Amino acid sequence: MLGRHIAIVGVGETRPVRRSDKGLRGLVVEAVEAALADAGLEPGDIDGVVSDGLIMPSTVPRDWVAAQFGFGRSYDGGMSYGGAATACSPIHAQLAISSGMAKTLVYYFGVDWGTRASGPYGFHDLYAGKMAFEKPYGFTGQPQYFALWARRYMHEYGLTERDLATIAVTQRESALLNPLSQATQPLTYEDYFASRMISSPLRVPDCCLLTDGACAFVMTSLERARDLAKPPVRVLGAGFGSEPISGDDVFTQPAGMMRIPGARIATGKALQQAGITLADIDFAEVYDCFTISCLLQLEDIGFCKRGEGAAFIREKGIGLGGKLPVNTHGGLLSHSYLLGVEHVIEAVRQLRGEAGRGQVAGAEIGLVGGLSNPDYGVMILGRDVR
Amino acid sequence: MMLPEFAGFFENAAQQRLAFPYCRRCANFHWYPMPRCPQCRSRDIIWRSIEGRGELVSFSHVMHAFDKSRSDALPYVVALVKFADAPGVNLITNIDAPAMDTLQVGDSVVPVFRTDDGEQPMVEFRLA
Repeated sequence: MLGRHIAIVGVGETRPVRRSDKGLRGLVVEAVEAALADAGLEPGDIDGVVSDGLIMPSTVPRDWVAAQFGFGRSYDGGMSYGGAATACSPIHAQLAISSGMAKTLVYYFGVDWGTRASGPYGFHDLYAGKMAFEKPYGFTGQPQYFALWARRYMHEYGLTERDLATIAVTQRESALLNPLSQATQPLTYEDYFASRMISSPLRVPDCCLLTDGACAFVMTSLERARDLAKPPVRVLGAGFGSEPISGDDVFTQPAGMMRIPGARIATGKALQQAGITLADIDFAEVYDCFTISCLLQLEDIGFCKRGEGAAFIREKGIGLGGKLPVNTHGGLLSHSYLLGVEHVIEAVRQLRGEAGRGQVAGAEIGLVGGLSNPDYGVMILGRDVR
Repeated sequence: MMLPEFAGFFENAAQQRLAFPYCRRCANFHWYPMPRCPQCRSRDIIWRSIEGRGELVSFSHVMHAFDKSRSDALPYVVALVKFADAPGVNLITNIDAPAMDTLQVGDSVVPVFRTDDGEQPMVEFRLA
């Protein structure tokens, strides 16, 4: 099948920090250099450049990146934005390579939302409805959007603050095993309940970090991949899903709310391409911008039913020793907040057996889910078993 | 970024009325305002006023100044309110609730119109 002939052959990242003085463009260059070196490739080997379709074009455009390295581009693309764009990015490689447009593509993404004055909140000023009808009431930040969902979900399904704490505490344990994590202090339940409320019921540990940093990865055909420096990590499937609702409306207007319908669609496509079921997934890197959003995606991806996310987490376990290890590097909550591109790097490391103290024993197939509501992207990666 | 299709909300609020876009073809409300009805794609949309009493869908006590200009106003309550006579509309608003701990999902609320000189009219709510 189409999807199964693509592999990720190199990954690169900058050390994620709250504030960097390198500038976002400098960080992207550093990440791309690292990804090429990891793959053992030269800039002349790259003929396709891919990013997200909204954030990078207005901060670190693809033509600029190509010029820094001398990449000749016979393919250039960006679909969706942010987390969804990253997680579905192998679609570009599938299309470009199968159609003969390109042979080897680099994907990059990064943000400087740790230093930039408006941080992540300025992004939502792009939405006219939010500006006219939400901002005047002080409804301006992602923690508030997800706080409303969390409160409603507590009301409908009996979710408790302790259930949310479990996600934060578990991911922090994994983060402490990763040498690059921004969070370096342990987090107990007691710490959680003593922490500052941001937008009730969400506290500081329910919210992702803020980060300056960038990551990049290189994709090529499986055939080429097998001749390169590192063991290839196969793209078993990739999918994109959405619904026709604008970013203005998606957090407040859908009947029932608290659902991410793109997740089910994207997961379905990726699983079909891979020819597997969710039962075959050994670990998942899920877009945990907040504890509650991580829980909702576990439901919408299909690991458990609607309303059963908290019970799933309690009973199956999402820590490194759990039935479904989730966000094995600490995630956006405790590793870094680069909108999920670091989730791809982590999944590749897990499948190469390079995850060190955070290694999931016997990891053969991993899922990466990326959210940019209402858009959703999924990639399913696997060890190259011949 | 004030779009032409937004104006009716503020014109009505200035008259102490709560009104939302209503499609005359499929007889459904929608929110936010848009050029075509999201249910049937018709452009035959009018502003239809409602009684105003609503129900709390969800709420949050905001304790962090996402917008630095609000740091003196903390904490404040943001809420999502729905209306029996305008199904399909969820309105973001503030709740004036002196005893904040008492708020519950499902509480009944009524609008409080505020028009400050030179500013867009605001529609806040209080417990009914």
